[in-house]
Amino acid sequence: MSKNISFLTGRKGLETNLFDLLGKESQKTGTPSKENLKKLADEFLIGAANTYGSATFYDFMKPENKGKEVYICNGSVCLCAGTQDKLHQELSKHIDVSKIGHMTCLGRCHENSAFNYKGNNYSNLSKAEIKELFSTKFKQKDKYKVASIGSAILTSPTGKNQSYYQLLDKMLSMEPKEVLEEIKSSQLKGRGGAGFPMGIKLDTAANTKAKTKFIICNADEGDPGAYTDRYIMEERPHSLLLGMIIAGYAVGAKWGVLYIRGEYPESVEIIEKAISDLHSEGILPLGSNKHDFSFQFKVIKAQGAYICGEETALISSIEGQRPEVRIRPPFPAVEGLFNMPTIVNNVETLANVPYILKNGGNQFKTIGTSFSTGTKLVSLDSFFNRPGIYEVDMGTPMKTIIDDLGGGFKQTVKAIHIGGPLGGLVPVKKAYEMNLDYETFKNNGFLLGHASFVSIPQEFPLVKYLQHLFEFTSFESCGKCFPCRLGSKRGSEMLEKSMNSDYKIDRELFNDLLDTLEQGSLCALGGGLPLPVRNALQYFDSELSQYFEAKVNY
Amino acid sequence: MKVAYINNEAFEMKEGETILSFLRRHQGQDSVPTLCDAPNLDPFGSCRVCSVDVALEKDGNARPMASCHAPLSENYYIYPDSPKIEKLRKNIIELVLTDHPLDCLTCEVNNNCELQEVAARVGIRDVRYPAGETHLDRKKDLSHAYMTSDLSKCINCYRCVRACDEVQGQFVLSMAGRGFDNKIVMGMDQTFAESDCVSCGACSQACPTSAISDIFESKSIRAKDKTRTICTYCGVGCNLEVSSVGEEILSIRAPYDAEVNQGHTCLKGRYAFSFYNHSERLRDPMIKRNGVFEKVSWDEAYTFIVDKFNSIKENHGPDAIAAVSSSRCTNEENYLMQKFTRAVIGTNNIDGCARVCHSPTALGMQRSFGTGAATNSIEDIKLTNCMMVIGANPTEAHPVTGVKIKQRAMKGNTLIVIDPRTTELAKYADFHLAVRPGSNVAVLNMMLHYIIKEGLEDTNFISSRTEGYDQFKKEILELDIDEMEKICGVDKELVRKAAIAYASAPNAMSFHGLGVTEHSQGTFTVQLISDLAMVTGNIGRPGVGVNPLRGQNNVQGSADMGVQPHQGAGYMDINDPLVIEKYDKFYGVPVPLGEGLKIPEMFDACLDQRLKGMWIIGEDLAQTDPNTQKVVKSLKNLEILVVQELFMTETALLADVILPGASFLEKSGTFTNGERRIQRVNAVVKPVGNSKVDGQIIIDIMNRMGYKQADYDPKTMLEEISQIVHFFKGVTWDRLGINGLQWPVLEDGTDTKILHTEEFRRGKGLLTNFDFKESMEIEKNGKEYPFILTTNRDLEHYNCGAMTRRTNNVLINTQDVLWINPIDAESKGVKDGDLVCIESARGKVDIRAWVTEDVRQGVLSTTFHFPEIMINNITSDVHDSEAMCPEYKVVSVDFRKAKNAAFRKEGKFVENA
Repeated sequence: MSKNISFLTGRKGLETNLFDLLGKESQKTGTPSKENLKKLADEFLIGAANTYGSATFYDFMKPENKGKEVYICNGSVCLCAGTQDKLHQELSKHIDVSKIGHMTCLGRCHENSAFNYKGNNYSNLSKAEIKELFSTKFKQKDKYKVASIGSAILTSPTGKNQSYYQLLDKMLSMEPKEVLEEIKSSQLKGRGGAGFPMGIKLDTAANTKAKTKFIICNADEGDPGAYTDRYIMEERPHSLLLGMIIAGYAVGAKWGVLYIRGEYPESVEIIEKAISDLHSEGILPLGSNKHDFSFQFKVIKAQGAYICGEETALISSIEGQRPEVRIRPPFPAVEGLFNMPTIVNNVETLANVPYILKNGGNQFKTIGTSFSTGTKLVSLDSFFNRPGIYEVDMGTPMKTIIDDLGGGFKQTVKAIHIGGPLGGLVPVKKAYEMNLDYETFKNNGFLLGHASFVSIPQEFPLVKYLQHLFEFTSFESCGKCFPCRLGSKRGSEMLEKSMNSDYKIDRELFNDLLDTLEQGSLCALGGGLPLPVRNALQYFDSELSQYFEAKVNY
Repeated sequence: MKVAYINNEAFEMKEGETILSFLRRHQGQDSVPTLCDAPNLDPFGSCRVCSVDVALEKDGNARPMASCHAPLSENYYIYPDSPKIEKLRKNIIELVLTDHPLDCLTCEVNNNCELQEVAARVGIRDVRYPAGETHLDRKKDLSHAYMTSDLSKCINCYRCVRACDEVQGQFVLSMAGRGFDNKIVMGMDQTFAESDCVSCGACSQACPTSAISDIFESKSIRAKDKTRTICTYCGVGCNLEVSSVGEEILSIRAPYDAEVNQGHTCLKGRYAFSFYNHSERLRDPMIKRNGVFEKVSWDEAYTFIVDKFNSIKENHGPDAIAAVSSSRCTNEENYLMQKFTRAVIGTNNIDGCARVCHSPTALGMQRSFGTGAATNSIEDIKLTNCMMVIGANPTEAHPVTGVKIKQRAMKGNTLIVIDPRTTELAKYADFHLAVRPGSNVAVLNMMLHYIIKEGLEDTNFISSRTEGYDQFKKEILELDIDEMEKICGVDKELVRKAAIAYASAPNAMSFHGLGVTEHSQGTFTVQLISDLAMVTGNIGRPGVGVNPLRGQNNVQGSADMGVQPHQGAGYMDINDPLVIEKYDKFYGVPVPLGEGLKIPEMFDACLDQRLKGMWIIGEDLAQTDPNTQKVVKSLKNLEILVVQELFMTETALLADVILPGASFLEKSGTFTNGERRIQRVNAVVKPVGNSKVDGQIIIDIMNRMGYKQADYDPKTMLEEISQIVHFFKGVTWDRLGINGLQWPVLEDGTDTKILHTEEFRRGKGLLTNFDFKESMEIEKNGKEYPFILTTNRDLEHYNCGAMTRRTNNVLINTQDVLWINPIDAESKGVKDGDLVCIESARGKVDIRAWVTEDVRQGVLSTTFHFPEIMINNITSDVHDSEAMCPEYKVVSVDFRKAKNAAFRKEGKFVENA
């Protein structure tokens, strides 16, 4: 990360955004031309090495992306469902294989066979429909079940904007500090994975003096198996937008940036439409008010890089820099986007904020458990009889989720990988004993994360799943810190070798590698990978031991 | 006292420090192994090798933290080498070695490799991973004149990328790709030569392995000796560490503990040293007989010179002899040269290159403040909020200072650039006032007008520290701004905004260069810059001031030492009989009263034969002074011309006697940089061939002309100087130490970073307004020659290029070119790369066209580094009305496409591809 580049690309503010322009430049052929990279570099007073370095980072901008038209999802659920080889076969009947690339996770985990064609997502199409797609282009709106038990904070319809946004009047009648206090007292924790209390972040940014501050919505929901944020953006966009405005008011930020995954084209469209509705309905710009508060939105379409879900990488990405993880401090709330105080919160977190303002932080706090307040959206994959998005109060028994909401599994599942690739790998038997909240998961050696459910069926080899996790990490690692860049690659190679030859993994070495990743990595990608791997080694030793040298004590 | 614990022992902590700096402070610099950390770079956190165990209570549950970026908190319990940490480090290095060629014995950095050292330290005995994918097949890049790279050795620590960004601010290097396939790229994955690399070498110095190095293998351990000295190129005064074996210089690096340059320098300082033993170095004294130079002994040369000087003195008086001393020589040598001229010859006809560069600065600032030197230090850039750079292109001519300004500007601090050309800094500027050359006075008038009109003047400062304000204000407010706007050709609203930005900044600092001084109104412009600083109260504290960017490495020093015809050593007025009395007493012989000749006057005196003999040291007047034909004619008119030089320059060719002098690498002494910092120069090797240290040559002739002067020794010379130059009072060789002292240096050795803190040297600061006056050159020749040519400098070459053209710099920058605005080019049917003929009232030269938006319409611009072009054939001898500095910056010219598509002196230099 370069402080200089943060300043330089920040000179043009958000209106003329380098990352945006790079994305646009790559639309035509799949990768920006060198000529344009040089031109953009000159325009922003940075080096051609920088624009080139950024472009080569992203799946949808790198030179290898040139000419790709179809992207097949290679996320964990589609992998476990085993649908993608067949899909590839089917698609290659209609399009040259050189034009087929990969995307990691389109969020169509409820039905699989997911792919993206010319900017639209499809899943579970029949052969006939695929054939039709290549002759008459159509869009497919996917369907999944949505329900809630307990409080419906996130799943309740927001209704007409004119009435929903009346909450702004209440907000403006309060001091920013009072709004901040409500959020603090709600004890709302970040839903993106880390579970950091939102109020503390806001407090820091509010107390940092600066000309400009930013609220960023992290809508780079990259965890395979998760589509809760996609649900909010596409079905409840206004709870998110209003949440951002309120958060902006609380800290004195006048800009809201939505950084939305390129793999979710529908989300981008719907959010953009929702913002333009706010303008056409006269809700934005805000009228004059005694706090002189105004708020503007900027939608940024991401370009395919899992690491951008990490907040500092995301900030660098918006700046047009390579999205490499930054050291902390400085924390973004003090020095973030363009070196200005910045709040980065996940979609679901922000979508809770209107409810908190409306009903008060104390009311919100009564929902869920004392440590994990509020509700949580969970996304269930296609191995459930009723896949979909469910809103549950924090602390709800997992059994209720699996059986009552999900309707149980379609086939035998040995483990559920909950909370993304870095979440815990929970044996199904164990899952039934737990409640869904931060503390139960942590105490049992797992991680709630994003609360996405990826089911691993009985017959799916765990060694292959672990190799997939290492490979995913290696492919998505920003490459900045040594342990993650090198360790994820070596782990992937060792597992692959053990699957395909009589090579047996040295347990001590493997354990050293996990320690190195866990203790040494700069961010949660390398640092989090050992958790599911260790879960697997602990609970599925009998299945995995054949790939390792005879057990020694470690 | 706040404490934290290392292995359960309490140590005092500092607020805001990292764990790494805490550990280094208490346990030594090498206490923690690191790879991605470097002394002049921000913490980055990629290698993780610096991890240490941290617990919140004694022997508590410890968590590894990367010490380089983890802030220290009170009562942390740090276990820097716990078994867990030792294992972690070993495991990380083992991973690194899975993708590193283990060919240490044949590697440039064998025994000086940070990876090797850390690997040895953590005790790697085995790489346990099965063979996997690697990047060992990455190709070497040997395309560049200096830089080399072998990325198979790269460990992805980003130090080179960060050095290029955080130190040089050039953004030539980046990581490209993602994850395991990350790789360093130059530009858009080009070669070093194809990229925009400015060859500063910061990346090479930063690289912990040999992944990026240079053709000199500067990181090998071949060198037996390392000598610290000061760069000979430009007035920044970078400290260099020169590696050598015997009489061979191997390479140069920049010391991190140098206060001036903190481990950085430009390609001239780091790489352009190989001229020192170039085959064309003058190695023997020579006398020209029948138009041919013949090698002679020193004795013969000395006798020839002494006889001639004695006879001229006898027959025509001492004023028939003049001397030009060299700003590339040491203070001691310059002192000796003026002493020789005054005390031995008996004339004040002594001048130096300051005449053609910053003489208006010295004079103007003396008039305004009482002292003709930079008021502040370069380190103040870190404290300023607004920088005004007028008539200077420091990223080319003062690169290390230039990048400091650029770095500060990039970080959101206001930058105002006043320059007819879009210089690199202008691109980063908030306000670029692209004035028409010659109109600096008008634009400064406008700024002052707006500041006073907007009520942004600092009334307290004005009333307590200055004089002349009422009259000044009256004149400034009466100005016709629309008229001024027309003259300088810059939108008045832009000028107003820039003026407001300068005046409202908490601290505003100005820098100026030859684009201010080399004008007929040069001295007045300097005084107006000083006015601007005083009116806004930007004098006498950190982060403000008037800071001329002095050109040659010791041009400050040569003037300090008395190399000027109107002031002796220590700036004492030689028109004052009391001063003369003092000098008489000090030198032990009578010295002359009354001003001597300035360089331009010397030429006139040659022509009318008032001057018969001249001794020029290290200054190529024939190539670098304006109106070449006149200069050559003048020098040819002398009875004896002695030229003391390193190379056969255009001036040396005209000499009767050649004395081979020594380069900065071959002598000791002191240089004074542009911020008044006196620094020690240390000889690395002996003078080549039969050449001699310049100071000794002067002393030899002094002795032969009957004046007793002990052999050249910087220590004793400094003792002598400190007794006559008041601001050197406390200067001794030992006291200067490695980072030097900034004058005035008090008797007890205390030096001065900022001048005029309480009061000005002259008492009150003098506010004076000056009205714009069109240059005589334009008045006289503007109609017939409607374009304005302005000359300047390129990064790769230094002045006449005698040194830099004899290094690989010439492979990077091969020729002088003429900048032409596309509209002007089109109007003349000239295309980029065409040979054009440029003509003035003095003559014409052919030069290659470079069509660029970076110069405004109506203005042409070029450099004067190559004798093949000799651009000074066409420059004028109009000069500053006060200090006689020539007006290089305003030459009335016209141009056309050349009739022949070949150069007049075809084949002399390498063409651009």
